[in-house]
Amino acid sequence: MLTRKRGGGAAAIAVALLVVIVASIGLSGAGASQRSAFALPRGQTLYMSGNQWSPNNDVNPAKNWDYVTGLVGFNYETAFRYDPMKGTFIPWLATSGKWTDKTTYVMNVRKNVKWTDGKTLTPADVAYSFKLAKIATHPQHPLWTDTGLQGVNAKGNQVIFKFAKSHSYQQFDYYRYMVAIVPQHVFQRWSKTELATANLNLTSGKIVGTGPYMYQSGYGASSETVTWKKNTNWWATKQLGIKVAPTYVVDISNSSNAAALGNFAAGNIDLFNNFAPKSAIRGQTKTYYSKAPWHLSANTVWLFPNTTQKPLNDAVFRRALATSIDISQILDKAYQGLAIKASPTGLLPIWNKYVDGQTVKKYGFSYSTPKAKQLLAAAGYKDTNGDGYVENKDGSAINLKIVCPNGWSDWMTAIQVIQSSAKAAGIHLTVGYPDYGTMADDRGHGRFDLLLGNDRQMSNSPWTYYQYIYQLPLSGNQTTANYERFTDNAAWKEVQQLDKTPTSDKSQYQAQLTVLQKTFLQKLPAIPLWYNGMWAMFNTKYWTNWPSSSQNKYTDVSWRNYWQMTSIDMLTHLKSAGS
Amino acid sequence: MAVTAKQELRVQAGPRPSARRSEFLYFALRNWKFVAGATVVLAMLALALIGPALISTPPLAFTGPTDSPPSSEYWFGTTSFGQDVFAQFVWGLRAAFLVGALGGGIAWVIGAAVGFTAGYRGGLVDDVLNMLTNVVLVIPTIAILIIVAAYLNLHSYAAEAVLIGATSWPWAARAVRAQTFSLKTRDFVDIARLSGRTTRGIITREIAPNMSSYLLMMWILLFGGAILIGASLDFLGLGPATQVSLGQMMNSAYSSSALLLGFWWWFVPPGIGIILIVGGLYVMNVGLDEVFNPKLREL
Amino acid sequence: MRRYLIRKVAIYALTFWVAVTVDWAIPRFMPGDPVDRLISRMQAQPSSEHALNSYYTNAFGFDVPLWKQYVNFWAALFHGDLGVSIANFPTPVWDLIRGALPYTLALLVPAIVLAFWAGNKVGAMAARRKALDNTVLPVGYLLTATPQMWLGMLLVFVFATTLAWLPVSGAYDLSLQPAWTLEFARSFLQHWILPFLALFLVAFGGWAIGMRNMIIYELEADYSNYLAALGAPTKLVRKYAYRNALLPQITGLALALGSVVAGAIVVEIVFSYPGLGTLILNSIENRDYFVLQGVFLFLIVGVLIANLIIDIAYVFIDPRTRIGMEGGA
Repeated sequence: MLTRKRGGGAAAIAVALLVVIVASIGLSGAGASQRSAFALPRGQTLYMSGNQWSPNNDVNPAKNWDYVTGLVGFNYETAFRYDPMKGTFIPWLATSGKWTDKTTYVMNVRKNVKWTDGKTLTPADVAYSFKLAKIATHPQHPLWTDTGLQGVNAKGNQVIFKFAKSHSYQQFDYYRYMVAIVPQHVFQRWSKTELATANLNLTSGKIVGTGPYMYQSGYGASSETVTWKKNTNWWATKQLGIKVAPTYVVDISNSSNAAALGNFAAGNIDLFNNFAPKSAIRGQTKTYYSKAPWHLSANTVWLFPNTTQKPLNDAVFRRALATSIDISQILDKAYQGLAIKASPTGLLPIWNKYVDGQTVKKYGFSYSTPKAKQLLAAAGYKDTNGDGYVENKDGSAINLKIVCPNGWSDWMTAIQVIQSSAKAAGIHLTVGYPDYGTMADDRGHGRFDLLLGNDRQMSNSPWTYYQYIYQLPLSGNQTTANYERFTDNAAWKEVQQLDKTPTSDKSQYQAQLTVLQKTFLQKLPAIPLWYNGMWAMFNTKYWTNWPSSSQNKYTDVSWRNYWQMTSIDMLTHLKSAGS
Repeated sequence: MAVTAKQELRVQAGPRPSARRSEFLYFALRNWKFVAGATVVLAMLALALIGPALISTPPLAFTGPTDSPPSSEYWFGTTSFGQDVFAQFVWGLRAAFLVGALGGGIAWVIGAAVGFTAGYRGGLVDDVLNMLTNVVLVIPTIAILIIVAAYLNLHSYAAEAVLIGATSWPWAARAVRAQTFSLKTRDFVDIARLSGRTTRGIITREIAPNMSSYLLMMWILLFGGAILIGASLDFLGLGPATQVSLGQMMNSAYSSSALLLGFWWWFVPPGIGIILIVGGLYVMNVGLDEVFNPKLREL
Repeated sequence: MRRYLIRKVAIYALTFWVAVTVDWAIPRFMPGDPVDRLISRMQAQPSSEHALNSYYTNAFGFDVPLWKQYVNFWAALFHGDLGVSIANFPTPVWDLIRGALPYTLALLVPAIVLAFWAGNKVGAMAARRKALDNTVLPVGYLLTATPQMWLGMLLVFVFATTLAWLPVSGAYDLSLQPAWTLEFARSFLQHWILPFLALFLVAFGGWAIGMRNMIIYELEADYSNYLAALGAPTKLVRKYAYRNALLPQITGLALALGSVVAGAIVVEIVFSYPGLGTLILNSIENRDYFVLQGVFLFLIVGVLIANLIIDIAYVFIDPRTRIGMEGGA
């Protein structure tokens, strides 16, 4: 008994020691790259989540799919911002810009803007930033290959963009608020490869920007939070009289929606930009709309048919399929009313003004099982073997597989609804849930029947949507556009024509859009279903005056590429609940 | 957790006289552990077999109201998508029994085959098989399972069960090998060998029957282990996506934030289901052990 | 003795080779091209796709023949180079593992050791003591049949969501950065308790049952009866029984490591605990094969080393092993 007692005691001590040692390894290991820590003052700190890509180890502004949230917008800024609600550009690091002739665009660079290392922002910095996209592996390389841009030069206080005779307007507009303006004197030390593809890991002092926040701490392979601290010398405070309210902003990168929601429910997150079920909107939680659909619409969810194979190569069949889908049931079951039905044109609500009512009335579609049946019957799709499903015109069986990534529970629910409503119209679908990578791979190579996609976010131009649908020529791997592999040369010409039409030429611009809407609705190469929300829930305990449909009509998400829309205005309008 | 599984059989090394059938039944039915465990397992099995027939609602159909707590209409409530949790539960039980029986069965067959062969043949065959066993035994098979399942996009629980069976046999093989070693030097084996029986005949006619109780318990433990491994894989979202299992229910409850929004009826039943089946099996096993080994019976 | 060790080391070397080869082979022979997937995720425009494709193919070393990739893999391995992450290109896989490892160890090691210690003690106490046995036995079986992730979810639901005593997820408070402060240590412990309990309780049940059953065997063994017949005090008999029962438990510990690791993976996911399990899940979601490969290699090596240590320790604890193992039985 004595021995056992002693043994037990020794074991307990050993264990206690182990715990301490292990825990301390944990601290020192994880803390190695961090600055000394202190708890941030809660009342002056904004906590936000929405970035689901952990870890936070990329501070390269070119990599706009995985740099740390806020890198562009907080630290690096853009020449312009774009207000999607108003449809206007906001001068930012450029005070103005205009086309001086058919092939020349001139940007006036803002004066007295300081980099956080004390140097002054120069037009040469702006020109340098646009030239970076010349690197072939740079994600913004199409600026130099697809827009007709031939040269960028700084001259005096201006940056002059020279274009070919036939050139883009819409796409160039997009880059006007997408290209991050970076300090040439810091960036020039890196090689082209590094600039385009590396993480540009730097020590915090070396992340030199012009924006309202400075990088404070947090990036690194194991980090879950990135902390930004207010830049008290921000140019906009002096020149525009605005300032961001929170002294600190902490972005939380969560590995799951559920974990993020737990933190939001516990009051640890103020701005929640992950998807959360409807029942999470309760108590002090606010959203953009105070009733359904609660959130703004951020992008369109499309059903892509593989148009290279029968029967999906038949426009009538696609129309019948579109007509058979009970979208309101999807919204009810998968979203509990958090999302809204898409326009038959697929254009986002911010582009409602461009939707041609007559065209939609004449060529649009809406849910009707009898109508779908009638379309099928008229086109010669009949149920010849009596199994309740129609067959191909040649009598062979139709069995189409509809897929979405596994784990995307709202979409998984949606395709099951599509399956059952298509069944009612006599179209045989089966569902499948491959992992995202497999789905993307099959999508790129055209190895699918039907799948869902929502890759295009809101932007300055419906051109981004039409390019998404019609882009030609097809390649072996369609990684970003025209997943349905629809070859319509005439339509693609119209899309390019749209690109070459300035938004300011209102009648021509509208005419071009009307033509495209008609072309789209007649052939229906992809089927617009619903708008995915700009998921945003606000905790009003520490911060108030959030964006809403009645005031502060700004984009309310922390997602990448939204800060240079109007998300930054959200921060300048916030009020501390304590004061 | 398979720890106990390995544990219990490890101890029982060393053959014991096989009980006669009537004697076995007599003691089995008087052993409360065996009776209680078997009752729970059989009740679950009955629910798994009959349940899906009684519940007309397909487990994944969005027929009901959303987020509704248990009621007389929806016994276990509904999910955030309006699916019937009870329907999912009974189908999930079915999947659990399938994975357990098939996965455990495959592991049992491989384990027994390798163990008998290695133990009886000895020599080079034993060296090779033993090496193989040790290699698979040491590799954390969950790692291999996750990586393979992630690539393969499993389409059925049978496929999942095969994967599980193919990786969870080594401890069984090791145990059978040790038993065979000690049995093969016995007189009755020698007699059989002298009378010209084939190796296979000796193993199946002489050696295996003498450790039948042992083999039965091994199967029960492998059964329970396979269910737990399958639940983990399904919880990770690596199981067949178009079907329901208890692990998949936990996955969808977790990813839909059920535990934060208070929808306890969504994730509590699948866990209870697993505990009842696996716990029932383990308790049944300990009861069996006492039946076969009179020394262990309660004083 | 020496022969036994050589044999063991040979088995481990072989296991290591098989594991590494399997680990290397799986991503390369499974369908799907990681580079294509990366480019899809980047939303690269067609005009830059070709350049990106050749750049990344080269960067991941896919542009050389398979046998050479295999040789390169081993060469890199001996330099401690596990490759680069796809989803977090070009972060080295090792950096990701290093960041996650401390958290996993902080959960795993105390859970394994404490559960083993407490489980054996309680199991030994319960054996052949009716009152205690009647609680330990059913509770132990329920615990050992519980899936760790479910226990974790239940703990979150009860102690975090409903009672709000402890945090829901993560490893420390969001307002903190890891550092040597009391504040951080407190926060770390608060976040650590629930995931630790989920792992600990399940393992505890297993050890308690195992020990309980084994003590009963030992107490029924001839030597115990003999000792008792000689009039030795019960305490002494139980002490000998405990010592003998502990040996197979230690072997069991080696075998259990794999399943404890599996438990840690799912528990970390429930708590979004930033360890290897969460890293694995993220890598599965992103199909980041190089990270998956790296983590698994790491787990395999870890389990191998732990096994080797236990094997060697066993030789010293139990002299019989030397003879037994040399006999080949």
